[in-house]
Amino acid sequence: MSAVAGDPYGGLGADERATLAAIADRLIPAAHGMPSAADVLDDDRLRFVLGARPDLFEPLRSALRQDLGDDVGARLDALGRSEPSTLAALQLVIVAGYYTDRGVREQIGYPGQMAIEIRSWEYPAYLEEGLIDAVLARGPVWRDPATGRRAAAGDAPRTYAERWSTDAAAPEGGSHGDDRS
Amino acid sequence: MAIEPADVLIVGAGPSGGVVAKRLAEAGFSVVCLEQGEWLDREDYPGNKLDWELKARKDWATSPNIRGLAQDYPIVEDDTPVSPLMYSAVGGSTIIFAGAWPRALPSDFRVRSLDGIADDWPIDYFELLPYFYRTDRDFGVSGLPGDPAYPPDTEDAPMPPLPIGSAGLKLARAHTKLGWHWWPEFNSINSVPYDGRRPCVQRSTCQSGCNEGAKASADLTHWPKAIAQGARLVTGARVRRIETDARGLATGATWIDADGREHFEPARVVILAANAIGTSRLLLLSASSAHPDGLANSSGLVGKRLMMHPFANVAGLFDEPLMSWQGQFGDLIESLEFYETDERRGFVRGARWGLAPTGGPINTALPSRAGEQIWGPDHHTHVRTHLGHGANWGLFAEDLPDEANHITLSSTVTDSSGIPAPEVHYSMADNARRMLDFHIERAKESMDAAGAYKIEVDRLMRYSGWHLLGTARMGDDPRTSVLDRWNRTHDVPNLYVVDGSCFVTSSGVNPTSTIVAIALRAADRIVETRAQQQVPA
Repeated sequence: MSAVAGDPYGGLGADERATLAAIADRLIPAAHGMPSAADVLDDDRLRFVLGARPDLFEPLRSALRQDLGDDVGARLDALGRSEPSTLAALQLVIVAGYYTDRGVREQIGYPGQMAIEIRSWEYPAYLEEGLIDAVLARGPVWRDPATGRRAAAGDAPRTYAERWSTDAAAPEGGSHGDDRS
Repeated sequence: MAIEPADVLIVGAGPSGGVVAKRLAEAGFSVVCLEQGEWLDREDYPGNKLDWELKARKDWATSPNIRGLAQDYPIVEDDTPVSPLMYSAVGGSTIIFAGAWPRALPSDFRVRSLDGIADDWPIDYFELLPYFYRTDRDFGVSGLPGDPAYPPDTEDAPMPPLPIGSAGLKLARAHTKLGWHWWPEFNSINSVPYDGRRPCVQRSTCQSGCNEGAKASADLTHWPKAIAQGARLVTGARVRRIETDARGLATGATWIDADGREHFEPARVVILAANAIGTSRLLLLSASSAHPDGLANSSGLVGKRLMMHPFANVAGLFDEPLMSWQGQFGDLIESLEFYETDERRGFVRGARWGLAPTGGPINTALPSRAGEQIWGPDHHTHVRTHLGHGANWGLFAEDLPDEANHITLSSTVTDSSGIPAPEVHYSMADNARRMLDFHIERAKESMDAAGAYKIEVDRLMRYSGWHLLGTARMGDDPRTSVLDRWNRTHDVPNLYVVDGSCFVTSSGVNPTSTIVAIALRAADRIVETRAQQQVPA
């Protein structure tokens, strides 16, 4: 049986779905207040996953085939030994179905990748704490090709306030293009 | 009816192609570009959708071999521990790059003189500096001025820095305690509205395309402006060879459209901007009886000296929530504390560290790249303690050139147009291995100082070949280099290469900022020497 166009999950038989549920329950069981993947992975969730990734359907079916037997652990071991890409597809289907569920996301405190406004007008904490001043106080880090050594400090700003109290930074010794050969 | 030759034909609509197209079109050149990919609509990018992490592992994977899209070409990777990463579309790999925008450092251009190994470049940092300023403005860069890891600038980044997040602040405090360099990262990502594009919203999905258009991809920053100046961009156009005439000049390119039809695009000047694998592949594909080893290959160096920056990841886990799934994927902060050579460490050169966000729950729940997998009841504890509680130092080791690291053409694998695929032959040198080992240990000390209760290391990640460099190096001697100091091939006076192929050494930093500065410099030179340019009859 091949996947039905637009509904690849519909291509799974009842036995395959039962096997998938058993594996999901083994990998992500109910524990620590969280539901099992078998409980979360309903038809809608699996349709969502396979709709986004129809390429996963065939390896998923392969991972659920009968000849791998009834023992879930033995099935996973066999796949891991001889068909790692099939096992990876099976794990991805289960994990993706589980962690795209709204209830699971709420329980783990993950709201999704959010759009957060940058507050570029705020003074960063690292400046407030003097962390940049500490970097500047140690002087130049770059290696001057003209000398082969760490560049001389010269009159380089040693605090961020000093950096902003001057116009464009002045040369601090070494090569700045005016003396290159 | 014969097509009127364009003044300039560019192969590849990525960042370097975009820079050159815009500059030359503005200078009045007739410009045509052939791009194997298509225009993308950022509404289709998955980053703001529920299936983001699923799509990021297939259609939006960074490896063309995983995507397997028609516009991608396969790469034979049997002989490399690192997979090259790239994207085929208008905008090229800037569609999926992270946006980190460090420049190569002054010492990077003088490796032979300073460290007695590899080669010096024919150009230097200070010669490039005016071009860095111009490309920073054109792409749009956010950053905090005054980083003492670089010589003082006379021009600041055009936008204020992006936030460094809770993880960045934690590591910045640790480096203050250790007395080590750190700095908020320069990123080509808008921190404020800029050039008609919106600011970043910290979604952290930069490598699946930026839904906001805040990240500087060349389809937004350059191509619309080049086209407004008259440049013609042909998409779905896969170039199979550069043609030459009896005088040895390039005459244009033969290309294949999506329906398999062959075309010829004539031009007076040809510029390759197809990345260090695509460009060397094309030069090798352009072999003929006049140049049986490939075009512009009298030195024998086309496709050789491939550098990809061996990459390791050091992750720290912290008790407190850091919400580290958010934030620009271009780095939060960087450290160049151990970038410069100290031979007491047992190797030469160094590595840049970039601190990046850590991904969403699917990435957290699946087996790690190092192979750790947690199933059963402990799975829930694993996800709760990892998701949003991590910070990742990415370590980019300088890769020194080695002719044994090279590209060849496959005799068995082709792309969807029947053109031979590139084969990558690459191994990590002992110097780089020692370098990564040293930096991993220092990065662990950094995480430890930050209070990490657990530190996880991923040595030499396979899917880390973002930085493709060196396969048509520049130099003054035609016997030992493919390009001259202006990116023109020594052998073919009207053929240029403006992508990362031109790199003599790799530096240890993300290269896009340096690639596009060099490309702009080359374009300026083409404009200045227009009257002297040899062209076919």
